[in-house]
Amino acid sequence: MRLWIVAAFSLLLSACGTSVQRVAPDESIDLSGAWNDTDSRLVAEEMISDALARPWLGDYTSRTGTRPAVIVGSVRNLSHEHINVKTFVADMERSLINSGRVDFVASRDERGEIRDERIDQDLNAREGTRNAAGQELGADFMLQGQINTIIDAEGKQQVRYYQVDLTLISMADNRKVWVGQKKIKKLVKNPKIRF
Amino acid sequence: MLHGRKAAIGCLCLLLLNGCAAWKLNDLAAQMPATGSEVTLERLQQVKTPERDRAQYLLNSGLLKLYTGDFTGSQQALQEAKQIMEALAATSVTENLAAFTTNETLRSYSGSPTDRVLVHVTLALTYLLAGDLEAARVEALQMDVTMRQFPADKTLGHLASARFIAGLIYELAGERDDALISYRLAYNILKERQEAVPAALQTSLLNLTRTQGFDREYHGYRSEFNRDADLPGSSEAEWLLVYFDGVVSQRTEARLTIFAGEANTLVTVVVPQYPGPGPSPRPLRWQATGNSGETAVLESVDRRVRQDLEAESGALLATATARAVAKYHMVRNAREQSELAGAFANIFSVLSEQADLRSWNLLPAYIQVARLRAPADSTVALPVKSFTDSEPELRSPGRLRVMFTSSYTPAVFGYPRATGVDTETHAINQITERQ
Repeated sequence: MRLWIVAAFSLLLSACGTSVQRVAPDESIDLSGAWNDTDSRLVAEEMISDALARPWLGDYTSRTGTRPAVIVGSVRNLSHEHINVKTFVADMERSLINSGRVDFVASRDERGEIRDERIDQDLNAREGTRNAAGQELGADFMLQGQINTIIDAEGKQQVRYYQVDLTLISMADNRKVWVGQKKIKKLVKNPKIRF
Repeated sequence: MLHGRKAAIGCLCLLLLNGCAAWKLNDLAAQMPATGSEVTLERLQQVKTPERDRAQYLLNSGLLKLYTGDFTGSQQALQEAKQIMEALAATSVTENLAAFTTNETLRSYSGSPTDRVLVHVTLALTYLLAGDLEAARVEALQMDVTMRQFPADKTLGHLASARFIAGLIYELAGERDDALISYRLAYNILKERQEAVPAALQTSLLNLTRTQGFDREYHGYRSEFNRDADLPGSSEAEWLLVYFDGVVSQRTEARLTIFAGEANTLVTVVVPQYPGPGPSPRPLRWQATGNSGETAVLESVDRRVRQDLEAESGALLATATARAVAKYHMVRNAREQSELAGAFANIFSVLSEQADLRSWNLLPAYIQVARLRAPADSTVALPVKSFTDSEPELRSPGRLRVMFTSSYTPAVFGYPRATGVDTETHAINQITERQ
């Protein structure tokens, strides 16, 4: 009998401690049902691979003989969650750059810092090592998008529907050359009883 | 036997300490009119609260941080409180057992329906005043999901202020359709409750139905409010003032003696109550070029928290009665064993009986609003706060500017914010001239 009591207490105590387990960054772990790193990575990879498989890329390359320069503009979070859009944008940038099929231009914020550095070089760097202003690569296309959600909740259950829309727009004439859409639907069941 | 006594005394001390924290927080709220929000925040941080009251502590500290202009701190506290309250939505077996055998304060604080909605409202304001309209919009969407979880045929958990703030956020984001829907919902809640529709909401409804071309609806509001739309002229800007007025009433203990049929005896139970009629609203006066007025009540939060308690009072009384009967039997059984055991059981029974006085103590008693228009190059002043909105670059014709203040802080915060304002430093963040 005493053994059982000791075992029960051990079990209870083991549930009280913090435990840390290292997992692979690409392992899918869903805890709350909210948008997470797996959603961000998978959506970015799938949408960019779709964008790169569409005719606009071949059309541009055959017309100009060069790779298009792409910039990521704003991706608006219009969802029900505080989503860190920066990680999603970073995932998209990584997929685009690693494809090797487009050139990638620094974002507005990044450019500001680089321009400051260039001005500083003008004053302080040796002449042979200076980088001149006015030599930046202009973007040919801008990627914009938004994340929307629809939440349907009843009792302890929720259906969370995410829709990510991305649009690639030609900087030359505002033509939309690609529109991508990715949908995710999750059924979240919250517990009715806790210990 | 000696160890048993020590344990019993220890348990009683712990129970009494728990009660102390609730009393201290009520005391802080009572003193806030005299001490102000900064001192109250310092004192709150010194109060030791049990882990199960963490959500209550975070709600209070998040609100005070909004008052003092620490928007990042406020967001962190309120987001954590929100997560805790969501996690506590499930029924706890152990806490129910503890509440049934000892008292209600042994449950984790999971927030009343009003708390669960107002946490989104407060967060939306902190994000907005920090200049993050997109994050404020997220909170507006979340408050809609939260309110939809409460029965639609009852007004409990449905807050006109939440709908109005959501409408304001959509309007600032240029989403006029959604803004109008939210303003309509705010209007419907007030009508359902038979409460007055403040002039700011009237203006919002009239202006949006007029500009969106809902002619029949516009004429309906026009005849009901007996006024026309108040659209800004080509050289005018608009201001929307949100004012958190006062502090809500605090719960006190009510001792009731009732007949418990199953034990065939009279038992004494303690339940929480809100004493007296509550504070009266005190409008905030504003002055603009050639125009002046004052804020009007959009939401009586004091009335909402009383309704929350009223809604659960039946269940609280039933649990308290069942607990009193159980304790009565426990004392009787202990007495049969020995007089001393009976005396201990009796002391435990009396001292452990505490009403749950926890609430989001520092909530404003009233949420008041005003919507005004004035020439874009003029100034808007709040004389009581010695404040003049004198940032010309933040106002342009047709633009809506939001100002927020509360009774217990001299600061006034605004959206949009001046460029180059440090979000982490609330002293710079304040667009006020301190008294």
